[in-house]
Amino acid sequence: MARLEARRVEAVLRKGSSARVDAAVPARFRAGDRVCARNIHPAGHTRLPRYARGRQGTITQDHGVFIFPDAHAHGAGARPQHCYSVRFSARELWGPQGDTRSAVYIDLWDDHLEPA
Amino acid sequence: MNGAHDLGGMHGFGPVERERDEPVFHADWERRCFALTLAMGAYGAWNLDATRYARETMPAGEYLTTGYYEHWLHGLQRQLIEQGLLTREEIEARMARLRGESDHGAT
Repeated sequence: MARLEARRVEAVLRKGSSARVDAAVPARFRAGDRVCARNIHPAGHTRLPRYARGRQGTITQDHGVFIFPDAHAHGAGARPQHCYSVRFSARELWGPQGDTRSAVYIDLWDDHLEPA
Repeated sequence: MNGAHDLGGMHGFGPVERERDEPVFHADWERRCFALTLAMGAYGAWNLDATRYARETMPAGEYLTTGYYEHWLHGLQRQLIEQGLLTREEIEARMARLRGESDHGAT
């Protein structure tokens, strides 16, 4: 990473940065696919919340190819892969206590998901 | 990791209290903590995902009873120590000096 000089701080912060990767990685899923979040419990960083593990959802959008945070947090490289918006119904997540009209949309990566 | 940061679906925290005209920082040390974290991010010794993980490693009881920027401070200290940029002893000596205690010769 290039050194951040004081005079450039404001411009850099205003611009922000993106974890999007310009790479031709094939997508494992597409909008409308039913998926199941993997039941994983890694000791390291993961973007897959506990309450969604083992739950079924629907891909609503393919955001494109992004750095995979679960690997990137631990010096395991960017492992670029597709990131999707996945819709989980409140009933699927919370059972009978879930509101029938509510859902949670979670951004998840290919390595978090299996075909349902 | 299955840490205290992964709060989704848990009961017992009470309502989310919205603060009118909430300031970006509630104390000056929070502003400094944020600036130091960004500055050290620009140094390039670690990436954004690693900073998130460093905050997640805070002991669960501590995590749930401290504020947002205390989590940031924990993460920053952990990374500075892990990367060998500071030692825990150096941080503790500086804190003791700021509290007005003897720093046992550290500068």
